[in-house]
Formats: sequence, C-alpha cells, structure tokens
Amino acid sequence: MDKIRAFIEEQFLVEFDDDFPEDTNLFKEGVMDSFGYVQLCRFLEREFAITFSEAEMTGNVLVSLSQIRDTVAAKLAAAG
Amino acid sequence: MCGIAGLVGWDSGDGLPELALTMLGRIGHRGPDGLGYVVGDGWALGTARLAILDVAAGTQPMGDDSGRFWLAYNGEIYNYRELRTELEARGAVFHTHCDTEVLLQAWLAWGAACLPRLNGGFAFALYDRREDRLVLARDRFGKRPLFYARHGKALLFASEMKAFLAVPGFAFRQDPAQIASILGSWTPLPDQSGFVGIEQLPMGEWLEVTGATATRHTYAPLDLLDAAPPPATEGEARDAIRQHLADAVRLRLRSDVEVGVYLSGGIDSAIVAALTTDISGRPPATFSVTFDDPGLDESAEQQAVAAALGTRHTPLRIRAADIAEACPEAVYHAEVPAFRSAFVPMFLLSRATRDAGIKVILSGEGADEAFLGYDLFKETLLRADWASMDEDTRRQRLGRLYPHLGHYGPQDIAALTGLYQQFATESMPGLFSHEIKFQNGRFSARLVKGAGDPFTAITALIAAHPELSGLSPVQRAQWLEYKTLLPGYLLSTQGDRAALAHGVENRCPFLDPAILRLAAGLNLRFDDGFEEKRLLRQAFADCLPEVVVNKRKFPYRAPDSAAFAAARPDYLEALLSEGELAKLEYLDAGFAKRLTAKVLTRPAAEISTKENQTFLFLLSLALLHRTFVARQGIPERPAPPVVRAVDLRGRT
Repeated sequence: MDKIRAFIEEQFLVEFDDDFPEDTNLFKEGVMDSFGYVQLCRFLEREFAITFSEAEMTGNVLVSLSQIRDTVAAKLAAAG
Repeated sequence: MCGIAGLVGWDSGDGLPELALTMLGRIGHRGPDGLGYVVGDGWALGTARLAILDVAAGTQPMGDDSGRFWLAYNGEIYNYRELRTELEARGAVFHTHCDTEVLLQAWLAWGAACLPRLNGGFAFALYDRREDRLVLARDRFGKRPLFYARHGKALLFASEMKAFLAVPGFAFRQDPAQIASILGSWTPLPDQSGFVGIEQLPMGEWLEVTGATATRHTYAPLDLLDAAPPPATEGEARDAIRQHLADAVRLRLRSDVEVGVYLSGGIDSAIVAALTTDISGRPPATFSVTFDDPGLDESAEQQAVAAALGTRHTPLRIRAADIAEACPEAVYHAEVPAFRSAFVPMFLLSRATRDAGIKVILSGEGADEAFLGYDLFKETLLRADWASMDEDTRRQRLGRLYPHLGHYGPQDIAALTGLYQQFATESMPGLFSHEIKFQNGRFSARLVKGAGDPFTAITALIAAHPELSGLSPVQRAQWLEYKTLLPGYLLSTQGDRAALAHGVENRCPFLDPAILRLAAGLNLRFDDGFEEKRLLRQAFADCLPEVVVNKRKFPYRAPDSAAFAAARPDYLEALLSEGELAKLEYLDAGFAKRLTAKVLTRPAAEISTKENQTFLFLLSLALLHRTFVARQGIPERPAPPVVRAVDLRGRT
C-alpha cells in the first residue's frame, strides 16, 4: 500500500506529513485533477490487478489517500 | 519598426534628455538605426528606430508643422498609401514618404477616429502640447507592445518594461496575484504585465492621459460575428481565400528593405512563402529552426517548401545546449513568464536572420486562430455536442481528434470518454472551451503560495464582455485564443520580443482584419471543422508540396525541461537553489523543490506536459526576478547613436 502513497507523492508533487495528512481531499486542495485521477485509477488497476468501472474512474469518488487505500483493500478482499 | 518610450508629469525638467535617452537605450535592440527624442516641460518621448520605410527621411520623433503634436511611433501601417491618398484629397501636405507622417496627419484629420482605419501592427505615443495631453494607442491584435506605469506623479510608458529600469526610484516587484493568473491561463491577460503597478495597454485600445487622469477607450473590439458574406460554393470560397491572402501579403511586402519569410514546416508559413514568391516575382530568403529530436523537427517539410519555391533557405540547428545557454537573455527580452521554451530558438533565429542582412520577415501566425487550426477547437465542438451524440458518434469523433486512438485498449478509451463526459458541461463560467487546457494551468498555479483561484482575473475579463454570450462555443474559444495565447505568447514572447531582440520586424498576413472577417464567414459553413483548416489547405493545394498540404497540425515545440536537465547550465543551480528560491517570497517552496528535483533527475519521458510547463514557468520567474527585481545579470549592449534631439523646454 505504500506504493500508492509513493505514486501520489511522485505524481502530484506532494509530501504527506502533519501539514498534509493522508485524509486530505486531493481534489479540494487542487492537487489532483481529472486527468490525474484517471492516471491514478489506471495505476491501481495495473498494480493490484483490479478493475474500476467507467463510473468509478470518472466519478472522482476516491478523494484521499486513506479512502483510496480502503477502497483498494475492499476490492482485493472481494476478489478473494 | 522601432521601440518607443517616454513619460509625462515629471516634476523636474533637469536631466530629462538624459533620462529619455537612457530609457530608449534600454530598448535600443528594437531600433539599432538610431535614437531620437523630444523633451518639453515635464514630458519626453522618443524612439529607437529600425528604418524600413523612407529610410533617409523618416527620423523620429516627428512633429506637425505647427509644433503642437509630437509622435513617437512603433510599427507599420500597411495601408498607409491608401490613407495618404485620402488625406491628400483633404488637403494634407506631406514632407516624407514614411507611414509615420501618414499616422500623424491621420490623427490631425480625424483624431481617435483614425484608429479603426489603420491596418497594421503598431503602438504609438502622441503628445499634444497645447492640451498637455498624451495619447497612447495599440493595434487591434496586440502585435506591438505598450506598457505604462504610474511613478509618483508621473506616468511612464515604453514598448518594453525594461525601459523603466532607467527611471530613478522605479522598483520592479513581481505580483503574486497576476502571476497566479498568468500560470493558470498560460499567458498574461491583455492588461497584465506580471509586475506590480505596470499595465499593458490592451489590443485595440487607446489611453488618454491628462494630468492625473488616465482613461482607456476601445476602438476595435474583437467581433467574431462581423463576418464577410460567405461565398455560395466551396470553389468560390477557395478563390476568396487566395485573393484575400494575396492582398494581405502584398500589403506586407511594402518595405524599402528586403523581406524574408520564416518557414515552420506547416501549411500557413508555406502559403505565405508561396504568395511572397508570386507577388515579388522572386523567391524570398527563408529561415527556419531545426532540432535533433525527430519528434520536434520539421526539416523535411521546410526543405520541401524551400525546394519547391526555390527560396534561399537558411536552417538553424538548435541543440539543447543552445536553449539552455540563450534562455536567460531570451527571458530578459520576453519580460513575462513563459510556459514553454520554444521562444528561445526563435530568439536565436532572429539573430541569424539579422546576421543574414534581413530586417523584415513574414510568418504564418494568426492562421490557426482565424481558420480553426487548433485541436482545442475540435475538442470544443466535440464537447459542446457530447450530450446529443450516441456512443458510436462519440468514438468516431474522438478518433478524428486523436488519430492514435485505434491503438488504445478498451480501458483507455473508457477513461477518455469518461473524461469527456466530465467536461461536457460548463463548470467555469464563460471558459467552457478552455476547461481541459486550464487543468495544466491549475497545476502550474500551485507554484504560487495561497494563490486562491487563479482564474479570477480571466473570469472577470469574460464577465466584462457580455456580448460573448451571443457567440457559439467554438467562437468563444477563438475569442479566448485571440486574447490569451496569441497576444500573450505567440505574438509577444515568441514573436515581437524574440524578433526585435535582434532588430528584426515580424509581419503576419493572417492578422489582416479582412482575413478574420473572411474566415468568420467561412468557418464551419462547408465542413464540420474536424479536418483542420480544410478550405485553406485546399485553396493552396496546387502550389505547395503534398507533404505540407496533407500534414496534420504539428504544434511548434522545442525541448522543454529536458534541455535544461541535459545541459545543466551554470546558472541553473544558483537560480533554483533553496536559498535563491526563498527570495521569491510568493513561491510554494516545497512544491517548487519537488518539481525541480523530479524534472532534473527523472528521464524526459517521465515528465508530463504540465510538469514541463510548470518548470519553464518557475525558471522564467526566477530569471525575471534576478534581472528585473534584483537587477543582476542585465544584458548590456551599446546604445544606438542619437540621430534626433529636440528640446522644447521653456518654449510655448
């Protein structure tokens, strides 16, 4: 899961710390845009062999690192 | 072509001639043929002249016979002969064959009503001694620059801001709010300069200064509904395009010195070169930039055009190290932050052009805006109709917009259609067409700490033009391009500033008002706009090589951050070190540091467009801070000789 954190830090040029906690809404902070979001989803698909629906990929539903982690974990668990 | 500078409302008469000369000396590159000035009680204006028309007699500044009006003028009025004939019929008597005198007489005859009659690229300052009134004016597309600033009780003006470096007590300060806007919208808006207290006179406007009052007036609003009656058939449309462009080129070949052509490798400059050959009866000297990277290089197309027309062609090979080395001086000339490096090769090309003995060149700028050449326009058409299209039509149109789509996997296509779905309705008021493009700008604006909304200024600009609601989405996109990228980068940083840095005047036939009116009547009338500039291409298909006629739009680019990562110029570390960047107090230091580290250490293929763009912005901001704010490393050149000095102090 640290790969997700590293990807976001690298891709969006941020650093998670006390001033920028993992539950920060990345859209609201202007860090992630729609293109970045799609890139993130494609990364998660490749990295964890999961699939996002078109709605998930474009609905901007994964807004923070902590939420993304939970969602990926849930998808992996569901896939068994 | 020239540079102008001056001031009004200066408290002391002492030292005015010296001040005028120092200001002009700072922009001497624009007019290496000689400096001229006139000073009066508390006012001064002057010109650095590049002599193109009536080389011997056109010395400036020029006064009228009564000595009441004094004119300092930069640019060319291409229809000056026709205006002169009209003025002579009204009884005007001329002493020269220069367009400067035509402008002066036109103002005497018609006042500000002369401005809409002028077809050209110009900026001028006119002082009325009887009324103690200064007039500043600028052409309708923003071809030639004009900046002004209040300084105590005085008002300063100049073609380039660097003239203000000469004014005692004047300090440059970067303006975080303007910078956030520039980064967001990619370029300065028509009135922005990037510096506190300095304004640009927007295109198509004039400014009236009397005492402490300065009033702006618009004389040529951009009206995309002002269309010429469209021809009935495609054949007639092609004839009209050929005819109008030939007229526009013919006007721009009026020069007492040789005129060359810049070849980009695209259709627009090829058309200009072909018409130039045709009209002048012999092939012109042509110039172009070439690159090692085949992804950027257009040598083959440039050579094909040069060979087909038989031009004397000079290609200039630009390497990464050339860009890195020349960047600081090119940014000094540009004066505003730049989102890409492609203006640096143009700066070097104008030097080569000057060295070849050519003072005037024609180029293809303005064609994409008039004839819908950019992908942005297709993208806007697609998004505007998105909701009404079925799935197949969407895919098919996307395929025409992105020809490589066929190679994409189903998940990629799903991502792309999903993205368009999100951008199918307007979320930024009045900016629908540019919402995708401005995603990059939003990223760049993160450079400015606590920038807030970087689109406040452009949203206000749109709101000040309620007539835009009467335009189609694609016309609104055109309007925005005519107000942002074209004047804010293509005509300025990459155009006028790059060319005049070495005393070369650039002229753009596609910016003739008649061309815009013609295109406004033709666009989307005979096709759906998805084959860019189709009619324009077809109009010239029989006289240009096929490789150029059928070439898809290829944006002119140069190596961006990769050039700096590869060449690692000495100044880079000093400029982008933590200590240096800390001097730019408005910067988000952490973001700037992470960006720099990534750009300079990772392979070029891993650097995204928006990261490239943001790095170039950061670098140019740091360079502008160093030269203008800290006044370090200012390039010095010997001032041109003084050819005219008029002192009217103490005289009525």
